[in-house]
Amino acid sequence: MNALIFTTILGIIILYLGLTKNKTILAPTAIAGLLVTLFLSFKDWGLSSSFFHEMVIFDNFSVAFNISMIIITIVIFLFGVDYYKMMELHVAEQYSLMIFALVGAFLMTSFSNLIMLFLGIEILSIPLYILAGGKKFSFKSNEASFKYFMLGSFATAFFLFGIALVYGASATFYLPEIKTYIAQFHGNLPPMLLIGLLFIIIGVAFKVAVAPFHFWSPDVYEGSPTLVTAFMATVVKTAGFAAFYRLLGIGLLPLPVPLEKALWVMTGLTLLIGNLVALKQSNFKRLLAYSSIAHSGFIMLAMLSQHSSSASVILYYTFVYSVATVPLFIIFILVKRASNGHDHIAAFQGLYKKKPWIAVFMTILLMSMAGIPPTAGFLAKYQVFVLSISQGYLAISIFAILMAIVGIYYYFNVVREVFTDRDHLEPLVITKLNAGIIIVCGVAVVVMGIFVWHLPI
Amino acid sequence: MIVLVILLIPFITGLLLLLIRNAATIKLMALASAIVNLAATLSLAFSTQASSSYSVSWINFLDINFALGYDGTSLIMLSLTSLLFPFIIMAGMKREQEHPGLLYALILFTQSALIGVFLAQNAFLFYIFWELTLIPLYFILLLWGGEGRRNITFKFFIYTLTGSLFLLFGIIYLYSLTPGLHTTDFSVFSQLNIPANTQVWLFWVLFIAFAIKMPVFPFHTWQPSTYTMAPTQGVMILAGVMTKMGIYGALRFLFPIIPAGVLYWQNTVIILSLIGVIYASVIAFRQTNLKTLIAFSSMAHISLMVAAMFVLNYYALQGLLFQVLSHGITIVALFYVVMLIEEKTGTLELPKMGGIKLLAPYMAILFLLIVLGSVALPLTAGFVGEFLIITGLFQQSIWFALFGGFTMVLGAIYMLYAYQRVMLGEKRPDLENITDLKRIDYIVLIPLITLILVLGIYPQPVFNLVETSVNTMQNLLVPVADVLPSLPL
Repeated sequence: MNALIFTTILGIIILYLGLTKNKTILAPTAIAGLLVTLFLSFKDWGLSSSFFHEMVIFDNFSVAFNISMIIITIVIFLFGVDYYKMMELHVAEQYSLMIFALVGAFLMTSFSNLIMLFLGIEILSIPLYILAGGKKFSFKSNEASFKYFMLGSFATAFFLFGIALVYGASATFYLPEIKTYIAQFHGNLPPMLLIGLLFIIIGVAFKVAVAPFHFWSPDVYEGSPTLVTAFMATVVKTAGFAAFYRLLGIGLLPLPVPLEKALWVMTGLTLLIGNLVALKQSNFKRLLAYSSIAHSGFIMLAMLSQHSSSASVILYYTFVYSVATVPLFIIFILVKRASNGHDHIAAFQGLYKKKPWIAVFMTILLMSMAGIPPTAGFLAKYQVFVLSISQGYLAISIFAILMAIVGIYYYFNVVREVFTDRDHLEPLVITKLNAGIIIVCGVAVVVMGIFVWHLPI
Repeated sequence: MIVLVILLIPFITGLLLLLIRNAATIKLMALASAIVNLAATLSLAFSTQASSSYSVSWINFLDINFALGYDGTSLIMLSLTSLLFPFIIMAGMKREQEHPGLLYALILFTQSALIGVFLAQNAFLFYIFWELTLIPLYFILLLWGGEGRRNITFKFFIYTLTGSLFLLFGIIYLYSLTPGLHTTDFSVFSQLNIPANTQVWLFWVLFIAFAIKMPVFPFHTWQPSTYTMAPTQGVMILAGVMTKMGIYGALRFLFPIIPAGVLYWQNTVIILSLIGVIYASVIAFRQTNLKTLIAFSSMAHISLMVAAMFVLNYYALQGLLFQVLSHGITIVALFYVVMLIEEKTGTLELPKMGGIKLLAPYMAILFLLIVLGSVALPLTAGFVGEFLIITGLFQQSIWFALFGGFTMVLGAIYMLYAYQRVMLGEKRPDLENITDLKRIDYIVLIPLITLILVLGIYPQPVFNLVETSVNTMQNLLVPVADVLPSLPL
């Protein structure tokens, strides 16, 4: 709870710091503040305290997810130092909006009451609608913001409607009480409750871009400023899945059969659409958007396997995925700058001639995304498959493995570009800080593949 | 402990090479590491002590150990790997190569990963190393390959990874079947009593990865183009050691773990392999590119080895393990000569060559000896292996032996025909300034040819080495033979 309060104050402080017109202090202050938040979160580990009549519960699950999101945000802010150098106005707003979104994310990992989940989702989303439109004079950025806002509001409406229906049936917003209420029907749910739950799931599925509610994500990813895209692809996704797991895994287990069936269909569709459409993408941001949809499919697989270690596997998966995704976006931004705004994957051509070490680390990061040993991405997928296969979901596991092969195809398509020669090489400038971030993340991906962790959450 | 040393020497040397700039030093260091490794491996092969092993716990909650060890089969594979890598490294000596530090580091990383595959004592570790062999090799092919490498390496990479992921599924499935606290140890896997009808489908899930690596018809389509495009050292690793990795994987996974599945599909696989023998031989005959021709000839020989593996009687198994060694040595020597020919003539197209014997008589003689080893002439190593294999096939069915025998007949035809077109005939005006072998070429070729001949004349030490594992493997299938008629399919 301290972490949540402190983060809120931090956001406001940064906002006011913007008045000083001194850009250089923003990122260091934000990062220092986040480090304090990190420390506060660590102190909450193992305490499991609840607030507001148990509407929010800070247990190990939420603390672990919060820590992972804070770390990723710090990495993103570190890159922000360079990214916002060119930007004259409103830099403080960018940082504080992201911090506010993080506050929403904290609520999403710790709710125990549907109203709190709603609050969390809204606090997370509204800053993002603004951030997506960060490039005021870019047509695509405006489109992204507008699209995200429209579809997001629509999903919110579904979500609220769902909450209302569930409340109408069960007369409570509390997850544990809803769970007991559901249990008394022995799988034969009244239609109102069923539709309510389905609507809630749709609302959350929209946030994590699970098919068939994924249509916004490629356009929004493509149009938004790339740093914001990186934030959406990592922190927002982690928060979304934490909320999803809290809702389904902790809140509603065992799932009623019709819901479970619907979720399995969504998983299959997500895997299929994410991977197959990614094959045809030549725009790197869109490629990562579809790949992120595909990763959602694997996380869904872990979630639906309904095993006691699912939570830890999801945490590991999202964290490893985020640690690899952020530096990939960073490399992309730098390469795009050097090639005059080219965002085709061919922009990576000749990278190994220009910066061999960056090329090596980029390969490691892509290997992790594709799930090839000895990277952490492999261990993440391995754990997911161990869950799903040992729980007996053989057919969908085989299907997921086929889709993982497709994934390897498009990730290595990028690797191939990195190691392809090009006659005309533009100079590529990489500051020491940026190179440091890329290298630390690349090493982290390998180290986490060797020292695999498993948290009791 | 010594197994850990064998695994780490190439890896650490590889890391060091990345820091060195002088090309000659790099190559010497790589060679020194490979020779030390060879000595260490031979000390394992000829030691009388109980086998060395190493194990530490790695990922506790998944119950995965970093466990290394070996038996007779892995020892053959290890010896082959350690034996070939000095020659593979020497193939680049006294030659100009781009970025030698990176190239030799990658070669040594591949060696380390290959050794890991042969030493791994649980399926998880096996899988990690299995994939790790691919990554450095992929970059060797991508960065030093010939024409069309961009797309060909990509196809090779995706093709082999596809197989691997099925293997991964199989491993996790087996893992989920293990009792109590799950584990991926081979020793536990081999004691699972998997229902026969499960084994029937599980067979393909596991086999497909190995079939692609070897390659078995019809999973071979990546092979000819990859071999043709690959740099010499890459193709030596691919043909000399990687193919054997497929065979090793099949021996490790299929026979002990799913014997009923093996028996069920036995004839199917043998027939596929024999189709591969004939198919590859016929296509080899029609090739005009020397490297592609040898690629297909390698496929024919490997197919015969796969057939032998699935016949699973005493002679065939002995022949198989012997042939693993002999084929590895022969194919590396062959590709070395191919490289020499390409260097001297600037082409690999058979119609553009001829009369080289008149200009380079010593090369012609050594090449002839290798070709004779490859076509399994008596007194060469190839003969011992293939003779045993065909004897084994004969015990199963006369038809198998007949078609298997085509490797030798057709092999003799296309190899000697190719030899004739390259070496014999009139002097060609455009090939006037060909020189004969240099000292480094003798240093590489003479030991390889000596090995081919020595193993052909006195093969007994190898048989002693593999005796126990052949007996174990042979006994694996006997108890399940009764289960078979009850299969549902």
